[in-house]
Amino acid sequence: MLDIYLTIVLAPLLGSVIVGLSGNRLGRKISHSITILGVAISTVLSIYVFNHHVLNDADIFNQNIYTWMQIGGLNISVGFLVDNLTAVMLVVVSFVSLMVHIYTIGYMHDDKGYTKFFSYISLFTFAMFTLVISNNFMQLFFGWEAVGLVSYLLIGFWHHKESAIEANLKAFLVNRVGDFGFLLGIAFVLMFFGTLDYAETFSQKELIEGQTLFGGVSAITVVCLLLFVGAMGKSAQVPLHVWLPGSMEGPTPISALIHAATMVTAGIFMVSRMSPLFELSDVALTVVMIIGAITALFMGLLGIVQNDIKRVVAYSTLSQLGYMTVALGVSTYSVAIFHLMTHAFFKALLFLAAGSVIVALHHEQDIRKMGGLRKKMPITYITSLLGTLALIGFPGFAGFYSKDMIIEAVHYSDLPFAGWAYFAVVLGVFITAFYSLRLLFLVFHGESRVDSHTEEHLHETAPSITVPLVLLAIPSVVIGYLTIEPMLFGGWLENAITIDSSHHALEKLKSHFHSAFALITHSVVTLPFWMMIGGGFTAWVFCLYRTDWAELIQSKFKKTNYVLNSLYGFDKFNEIIFVKGALKVGNLLWKVSDMALIDKLLVNGSAKFTRYLGAFIRPVQTGYVYHYAFFMIVSLMLVLGWVLIASDYSFFS
Amino acid sequence: MIALSDYLILSSIVFCIGLAGIFINRTNIIMILMCVELILAAVNTNFIAFSFYGSDLSGQIFVFFILTVAAAEVAIGLAILTLMYRNRGSIDIDVTNTLKG
Amino acid sequence: MEFTSILFYVFSFFFVVSSFVMITSRNTAKAALWLILTFFSAASLWLLLEAEFLAITLILIYVGAVMVLFMFVIKMLDTEQSTLRAQFTRYLPLGIFVSIVVIVQMALVLNAGPFDLEVVGLPEKHSASYSNITAIAEQLYTVYVYPFELAAILLLIAIIAAITLVHRNQTNSKKQIISEQINVQAKDRMRFANINKDKAKESK
Repeated sequence: MLDIYLTIVLAPLLGSVIVGLSGNRLGRKISHSITILGVAISTVLSIYVFNHHVLNDADIFNQNIYTWMQIGGLNISVGFLVDNLTAVMLVVVSFVSLMVHIYTIGYMHDDKGYTKFFSYISLFTFAMFTLVISNNFMQLFFGWEAVGLVSYLLIGFWHHKESAIEANLKAFLVNRVGDFGFLLGIAFVLMFFGTLDYAETFSQKELIEGQTLFGGVSAITVVCLLLFVGAMGKSAQVPLHVWLPGSMEGPTPISALIHAATMVTAGIFMVSRMSPLFELSDVALTVVMIIGAITALFMGLLGIVQNDIKRVVAYSTLSQLGYMTVALGVSTYSVAIFHLMTHAFFKALLFLAAGSVIVALHHEQDIRKMGGLRKKMPITYITSLLGTLALIGFPGFAGFYSKDMIIEAVHYSDLPFAGWAYFAVVLGVFITAFYSLRLLFLVFHGESRVDSHTEEHLHETAPSITVPLVLLAIPSVVIGYLTIEPMLFGGWLENAITIDSSHHALEKLKSHFHSAFALITHSVVTLPFWMMIGGGFTAWVFCLYRTDWAELIQSKFKKTNYVLNSLYGFDKFNEIIFVKGALKVGNLLWKVSDMALIDKLLVNGSAKFTRYLGAFIRPVQTGYVYHYAFFMIVSLMLVLGWVLIASDYSFFS
Repeated sequence: MIALSDYLILSSIVFCIGLAGIFINRTNIIMILMCVELILAAVNTNFIAFSFYGSDLSGQIFVFFILTVAAAEVAIGLAILTLMYRNRGSIDIDVTNTLKG
Repeated sequence: MEFTSILFYVFSFFFVVSSFVMITSRNTAKAALWLILTFFSAASLWLLLEAEFLAITLILIYVGAVMVLFMFVIKMLDTEQSTLRAQFTRYLPLGIFVSIVVIVQMALVLNAGPFDLEVVGLPEKHSASYSNITAIAEQLYTVYVYPFELAAILLLIAIIAAITLVHRNQTNSKKQIISEQINVQAKDRMRFANINKDKAKESK
C-alpha cells in the first residue's frame, strides 16, 4: 500500500517537473497529456484507497517514510497517515484537480503560458496531497506553505497585469500572517508535547491539560487559537479574508481548483485533523464558531452587490467557508468535512461554468453585460442551474444535506453565542439564495445585454470545457444523498475524529436523523427551506420582475450600499494601519536608527573618536631621537628603582 | 684582592657615564655614537670580569661577537650620518624630525 | 696591597676619568681622542683579567679601525659648534641626576652581595704556557662555530649596506628593464610603409 500512496503523491509532481522543465520543447499536446495522466493516475488510485479504507474498513496506515532531519531529540520526518479522513480528502482533491486539468485545455487555449500553467496546477496538486496525507505538523506546514506558494504563482499568472501582481502579493502576505500564527501554534505543540507527530501528540493529551501560558491563559486554548489563526489565513475567515476576492485575478481554473475546492479547505481539514486538541478547549471552539458565523453572514451580504461574475462566486465561497467553520466550532467535524466535500464539487462547478461563460463572451466578466445566455449555451446553463440549486440548498441536492446539517447542529449546540450563530447561518441561507439566483438570472435569463459583436459569435464552449462541467454536476446532485448517512452517522470518519462527550451536537443530530429521503420530505417545515424560497423569490423580483426596484432600493439605502461596496472597509483599514504604519516604522528606523544612530554615532563617531585619540597621543612622537633616548633611559631608571623596592629592600644587608 | 663586585661597579659607573653622555650631547650625533661605544666598552668589561671569575670562557666569546657587531654598527651609523650631511648640509639633529607624529 | 690591585685602581681611574672628560668635551675631535684613551684603559683592564686576545683585538680593531673611521667622519663633516653648545647646559642637571640615580641603584645591587670575594673566589692562575688565543679558538670553532659564521655574514651585510647607502655614482652599465621590454607594442617596432601599387604592377 505504501507504493500506492507514494504514487498518488508523486505522480503529479513528476508530471509537473517534466512539463515545467521541458514544456516548450514537448509542445502543448504532450505537456497536457503528461500532467493529466499524472493526475488521472492519482485519481484512480485515490478512489482505490477510498475503497480500501472506507468501504472495506482497512487499518489506519501511519508510517514515517524518510527522516528529514534530526535536531537534538526531535525527529522530523516525511510520513504518511492514511485513514478515512485522508481517503475522503484524497478523492475530493484528485477528482476536482483532474476536472480542472481537463478544463484547462479549453480555457487556456489561447494563452502563451499554456504548459507553465499545467505544470503549476500539477505542482499544486502534489502540494495539496502532501498536506493531506501528512502524519506530522512539519510536513503539514510544508504542504501548507507550498500550496500558498503555488497559489501565489498562479494568481499572478498573467504577470503583465498590474492588478494581478498586487493581488498575488496580497494573498501571499495575508496568508503569511495566518502562517505566523500557525507556526507559533506548532511551536507550542512542540513545547508541550515534545514531538511533532500526530499520533504521539494526540495520545498524550495529559501533557497539556492544566498547563497555562502567559500568566493564566489555558495553554491548550492558546495552541488551538493559534492553529486556528493559520486556518483563518488559509480558509479566508474574517479578518484574514481580504485576499480571496483579489485572487480572482488569476485564471478561472485556479479559482475553481484552489480557491473553491482545495486550498481554502486546507484550514477546515486541518482543524478536523486536530479535533483531539480542539475538543479540549471550549473557548477555542466558541471562537471558531463565532468567526465562522461572522464570515458566513457578512461575506454573503457582500455577494449581493458584486458585479463581477467571479467575485460573486468568490464571496459565496467565503460565506460557505464560514459555514464549514461554524460546523467545526460546534464539534461536528464530520458535518464540516461533509460540507467541504459537497461544496468542493458544486463550487468548482460554478467557477468552471463562470469560466465557460467568460470564454464564450471573450473574457467579459461583468454580469451587467450578460443576460439571456441560456438559449445559446444550454450545457453551461443546465450545469450552472444544478450547481446553484446545490448551493442554495434545494432539497435533494448535495448542498441541501450539508447545509441543513450544519444549521441543525448549531441549533443543538450548547456553546455560548450558539444562538446568535444559529441566527447568522439561517439568515445566511436567505442571502445565499438571493445572490446565487441573482447571478443565475442576470447571466442566463432575461434580456440579453451582451455586446452585439460578441453576440454574433456566441456559442456553446468546447467539450474540453463542458465535459468537466457535466462530470462535476453529477456529484453535486447525488453525493449528498448517497453519503450523508455513512459519513455523518455511520462512522466513516470515526477513526479520524475525536469528539468530547460534553459536546452533544452530533449525538443530537444523529438521534433526529431518520434517513436521507426523510430529510427531504421534512424540509418543507423547516425554517431554512422557507428562507431559501424567500431569497429566491426576492431575487426573481429584483432581477427579472421589476428591475427598477433594485435601483430604488439602492438610492434609498445609500449608506448601506456604501458600506457593502467598500467591503466593510477591511482593505482601507489594512492600508492605513498596516501598510502606512509599516512605512512609518521603516522611515523611523531609517532616519533615526540607521542614519543618526548607526551611521553618525557609531560608525562616524568611532572614526572621530579614533582621530581625536590619535591627535592626543601623536605629539609624543616628536621625531627627535634624543627624546626617545631620554624616555628610554628614564624608564630604565624607574624600572630599576621599582625592582629594588619591590624586593623588600633586601639589598640593605 | 679585587673582588668581582669591584669590576661590576666599575663597569656600571662607566655605563652610566655613557648614558649621561647621551643625555648631555643629544644634539651631536657623532657624540651619541661615541657614547654608545663607551657603553659597549663598559658592558664588555662586565662580561670579561664574569668570564674570569667564573672560569668560563663563554664571556670572552660573547665579547668577541659584541666587538664584531659594534664594528658593523659603527660603519653603518657613520654611513647614515654622511648621507644625512650630504642631503641636509648639517648634522643638527633639530632638522631631522621628519619622524614626527 | 698587591701589585694587581694597584694596577686595577690605576687603570680604572683612567677608565672613568677619561670617559667623563670625553662626554663633557666640546670639541668632537678631542672627544674622540679621549675615547681612544678610554679604550686603552679598558684594554689594560682586560689584560688584568687574563683576556689577552680580546684586549689586543680591542686595540687593533676598535681603536685602530673604528676610531680612525670616526676621525675620518669628524674631520670630513662640518660640526657646528654654536648650536651644540647651546643645548649643553640645559640638560646637564637632569643628565647628572639620572646617571647618579642609576649608579646608586646598581651599586646597591652589586655591592657586597652575591658577588663578593667570599662567594666568588679568585680563580686559579693559569700556567705560563697558557695561551688565551688557543683556548678561545678551541671554543669558537667547535661549540660556537654557527654564531661565528653568522657573524661573518653580518659583516658582509654591513659592508653591502654601507656601500649601498652612500654610493653616489650613476652606473654606466647597460641594464635590462624587463617591464619595458614586456610592454612593448607593435606600433613601437613596426611601421606600415605605403608602397605604390602601380609600381608594384609594373615590376611584374
